[in-house]
Amino acid sequence: MFTKKVKLVNSAGFHARPASQFVAEAKKYQSKISVKNLDKGTEAPNAKSIILLLTLAIACGTEIEIAADGPDEVEAVEALVKLVESGFGEE
Amino acid sequence: MTILQGNPVSPGIAIGRIYKYIPFDPSVAETFCAPEETEAQVAAYQTAKASARAELDTLFAHMSKENPEKAGIFQAHTDILDDEVMDEEILAGIQSAYMAADYAVATVFGTYIDMFSQMEDPLFKERAMDLQDVQSRFIRNLHGIEERNLSSLSEATIVLAEDLFPSDTATIDRQHVMGIVTELGGSTSHSAIIAKGYGIAAVLGIEGLMETVPDGVQAVLDATTGALMIAPDAETLAEYEQKRETFLKEREYTQKFIGVEAITKDGVKIDVGMNIGSVKLPEHQEHAEFIGLFRTEFLYMESDHMPTENEQFEAYKSILLAMGDRPVTLRTLDIGGDKKLDYWPMPHEENPFLGNRALRLCFAREDVFTTQLRAALRASVHGNLQIMFPMVGSLEDFRRGKAAVEAVQVELDQAGIPYAPNVKIGMMVEIPSVALFADKFAAEVDFASIGTNDLTQYLFAVDRMNPQVVEYYQEFSPIMIRTLAQIITAFNQAGKPISICGELGGNAKATAILVGLGLTKLSMNTASFAACRRVITGIEASKAKDLAEQVMAADTEAEVKQLAEAFIAHI
Repeated sequence: MFTKKVKLVNSAGFHARPASQFVAEAKKYQSKISVKNLDKGTEAPNAKSIILLLTLAIACGTEIEIAADGPDEVEAVEALVKLVESGFGEE
Repeated sequence: MTILQGNPVSPGIAIGRIYKYIPFDPSVAETFCAPEETEAQVAAYQTAKASARAELDTLFAHMSKENPEKAGIFQAHTDILDDEVMDEEILAGIQSAYMAADYAVATVFGTYIDMFSQMEDPLFKERAMDLQDVQSRFIRNLHGIEERNLSSLSEATIVLAEDLFPSDTATIDRQHVMGIVTELGGSTSHSAIIAKGYGIAAVLGIEGLMETVPDGVQAVLDATTGALMIAPDAETLAEYEQKRETFLKEREYTQKFIGVEAITKDGVKIDVGMNIGSVKLPEHQEHAEFIGLFRTEFLYMESDHMPTENEQFEAYKSILLAMGDRPVTLRTLDIGGDKKLDYWPMPHEENPFLGNRALRLCFAREDVFTTQLRAALRASVHGNLQIMFPMVGSLEDFRRGKAAVEAVQVELDQAGIPYAPNVKIGMMVEIPSVALFADKFAAEVDFASIGTNDLTQYLFAVDRMNPQVVEYYQEFSPIMIRTLAQIITAFNQAGKPISICGELGGNAKATAILVGLGLTKLSMNTASFAACRRVITGIEASKAKDLAEQVMAADTEAEVKQLAEAFIAHI
């Protein structure tokens, strides 16, 4: 299991489009991936589900923890953290 | 043959088959299945999912070409459809709880719809609507009901509906939809605006329409008189085929005037501008001399969050760049009334058209107003921008709006952000109080534009969305014409630009009167360019002035219409 924390920087938070990008990226990996909303203490046990991700209602500035468990766990977490840090390509 | 009579809002003759457009009702019964049936239910679920995905793929491909921003919605819907967790839960519902497939889908979707509906953040709350949309598509496919959308029809069609919304018409098949008939809606409703924009014959406001008319029958729609003829006999059909041909020929001739410079026979130049409501300029935009009305609501209505300053800046900048030197009149947010936003919940109002709408709402939400003004001023360096406030009722309103602009200018100065120094600040004239005080306003504002839809509504105290009071909405009334005269004269005397941007401005039957009243700027949908320019180039301004005097002396709206029609009959 490999985990990393990251802060949401895009202005609208984890809404539909960023969540969609996140899920598409997560699905590239075999590992089981989960996301925690550290501000609220809620968790999406399967981060390949857009619905679970959206139920976390992650707003801008929220700190989240991404965890992966499986053969490509490090690559998965690094790639997802990078995506979040990039602000999903928003301004 | 049955004949139904309605209110013609977009002229034309249509002949085709009736297609009743009924939005799907996705409610399902609480049904379970025997254990040995689960396999069949799972198979049905998988098949329905595949066909729902195929529908979404088609919609996505179609919208990617037409409106890439909206195509994103269908991508999001595909994501929801393919969601792993919901898939597992639905399968568990069928296999372990022995639910019927449709009931399992409704149960799982229902749980998440509830969850999102209860969220506080409007951005997330709105996801409930996406889920509802996907659920409905899913269940419709499970029930084997074909999608009733207006995007791909196979033959000449007359569409019947209770009412049409932007989501219904976004992908309308313009090749096959010959006519639109609805139960609800007046001449300024969404259905009417879409029909006029696309040049589709339309008749609205036929009560009991959906109940009386059978699906699939042959019909004739005469949208010059408002008659819908169901199952016409051979003679009638032949007659209307002839009429249709004449109408199309006439329209084709009119179309030649689309780019002609609008100068009356006695040399008065009329500037013809366009109304727009999207970041994409409409067809025939090259024939517009200016934008008389840039509605900014679409930025708010098509977004799932309050549009940021940068999002707005980019949109305004692209319009300004596309227009070059041609002036662009940006109307600040006109929301409330008949336009609502999902992510901006507003308290219920008994009389929304008399309520906290447009400029009033911007005064109540200074942050929203300031964001828009900042975006607009920042964009002003890229073209010829002027700013216009909607729903000004008093000088105080205008002064307060102007002060907000000046405050933003000070902020931008302090931050060293450039903006054009000469941005003109004007207003819509749509509340009758302004007409009574027109000289005062003319002295103070840089320019004004008359919004005839709301002006008529407020002048006659008639709800323009209510089909039961259509006859009281009299935009050709001599009372209306005198009101216009008062406004136009005051502005012309003060030497301030005055234009018109309501429906009347693009109504060729009104053009001669408007020119006669002294208007030299008309702004309209590009679809009206040809007809209005044909009138302008065919009349003399001096005679139009006589016409204006005549109609102001008339007693009734019918008299005004008769005089106006007679005046342009020979053109």
